[in-house]
Amino acid sequence: MTAATAIPTRKPPAHRLTAPYLLIAPSFLLAAFIVFYPLYALINTSMRSVNRFGMIQGLNDFANYTAVFADPQFQAAAWRSLVWTGAIIVGTIIISMGVALLLNRKFHGRALARVIVILPWSVSLSLLTVVWRWALNAESGLLNHLLMQLHIIDAPVVWLGNGQIAFTVQIVIGILVSIPFTSSLLLGGLSSLPSDIYEAAEMEGATPWQQFCTITLPLMRPFLNIAVVLNMINVFNSFPIIWILTEGGPANSTDILVTYLYKIAFKYGKLGEASVVSLLMIVFLLICSVIYLRLISKEQSNA
Amino acid sequence: MRNRITFKASALTWLLLAPLVVANLFPFAVMISTALTPGDVVLSGQTRWVPVRLAWNNFTEMWVTTGFGQALANSMMVAVMTTLLTILVSVPAAYAMSRMPFKGMTGFRIFMLVTQMFSPVVLVIGLFTLMVQMRMLDSLPVLAVLYCCFHIAVAIWMLQSYFASIPIELEHAAWLEGASKFHTLRTVFMPLAAPATAVVALFTFIGAWNEYALALALLRSAENYTLPLRISALSGGRYQIEWHYVMAATFVATIPVSVIFIWLQRHLISGLAGGAVKG
Repeated sequence: MTAATAIPTRKPPAHRLTAPYLLIAPSFLLAAFIVFYPLYALINTSMRSVNRFGMIQGLNDFANYTAVFADPQFQAAAWRSLVWTGAIIVGTIIISMGVALLLNRKFHGRALARVIVILPWSVSLSLLTVVWRWALNAESGLLNHLLMQLHIIDAPVVWLGNGQIAFTVQIVIGILVSIPFTSSLLLGGLSSLPSDIYEAAEMEGATPWQQFCTITLPLMRPFLNIAVVLNMINVFNSFPIIWILTEGGPANSTDILVTYLYKIAFKYGKLGEASVVSLLMIVFLLICSVIYLRLISKEQSNA
Repeated sequence: MRNRITFKASALTWLLLAPLVVANLFPFAVMISTALTPGDVVLSGQTRWVPVRLAWNNFTEMWVTTGFGQALANSMMVAVMTTLLTILVSVPAAYAMSRMPFKGMTGFRIFMLVTQMFSPVVLVIGLFTLMVQMRMLDSLPVLAVLYCCFHIAVAIWMLQSYFASIPIELEHAAWLEGASKFHTLRTVFMPLAAPATAVVALFTFIGAWNEYALALALLRSAENYTLPLRISALSGGRYQIEWHYVMAATFVATIPVSVIFIWLQRHLISGLAGGAVKG
């Protein structure tokens, strides 16, 4: 045993000061690498013409930028990205809040209910979407089969053949897969609320609805804010649901920015224009990050 | 009296949860039902929930016809490499953050948070051009390194909040009794940190196991496909899709991960909530 070296000294030697930096260095370098190099490559590529083999050529006077902004498909995809993100977040937050409130009560089978609620979280989103693709099959899909057995519809619905129906279905699936994480986060928040306030409110004769509006909602604000921002980032970037169900089709009518990006990059080989789309998305996400950071620092100063 | 559980209230709660319960279990029912239905029944379009006879042979046939074994080996390799690498770099960083306050720690924390915001999808073109230039496209180890980069932030985040909850006094006590720093780390700190580290490792494993978008962009040849790519490629064919095989493959790729997930969900949720809110 090398006991002599281990007695804590008053003045830390030089290696004590460098040790933490050595310990964080590998993770810092790896994380920095995947952010800064691709960022540089995106900015560089966005200003150059690129041939079909991905070879980057000369500067092209921001032609990629003008091409992207002028493309009606880009405008439609950007608009659809906002609808996609907004609709899923609103649906997810409302349902998840209700689910979290229910799961926070004591009832028979609560442990089982919690597992069922978060179950989809464990499945790869791409595989879950493959299952939905089969379930939504117009002729022999089990969803049409079920709905017809229950006499909700009389004839099979072509779920993915029409842009509007397909996009609505995709939003519903998007909400379903966002609920597990969101309701878990909100449940964590609810279980941290002090119960004595509710007892006091009940003594005063407050109805459950009054308690919800005047106690629960204000106290849950920080958790709701964080749930909104994290979902914003997740949903805005969500790729498998739309790609696996329709690849943005029919006729690009379900494209959001991410699928548009993949299409122009890997189907049409327009890496320059795809870089422009990436950079625009990054700017949007950076704004979200700033909001998130401010929310967190606010939480810390309040705590 | 509000803490007494009544059957009426329980039934009402389950009734309210019913739509979500049905929607969540529906894909699993579809998966299991089709995976066990004989191929000729599925292909003839005679849909029914309960198979006429249980076609266990779907699983063995799927294994051969879909190249499932290769994709499983690829996914396993990528996920294991990602997990080992992530733990290897995150544990020291999280230890430093919870035990040795240093200048620039807040900056480092914010930086990690921002990298968390950059999902692979928005950087995919940059990563793709990088891989083309370095001739590293279509490589599973390279994919694992990239996955690791994207998982570091969350891993450090969760580990650090766990490590901070391990009382430092235990280590001080060991030092005072004359144990070396390394010895203390090995016999006092590591055993206490191990469960949390295992949870973060499993979380990373599941993340790498399930990833789709980056793999789709960076893997080119079919023999390098991971499970999500392999299975979605099977379901996206132009010709008749053999859904009984696709569902059997999905089932095998999903159930083990779901079981692990159910087992560790409690830790996962408290870790995530702590990381997201406390910072």
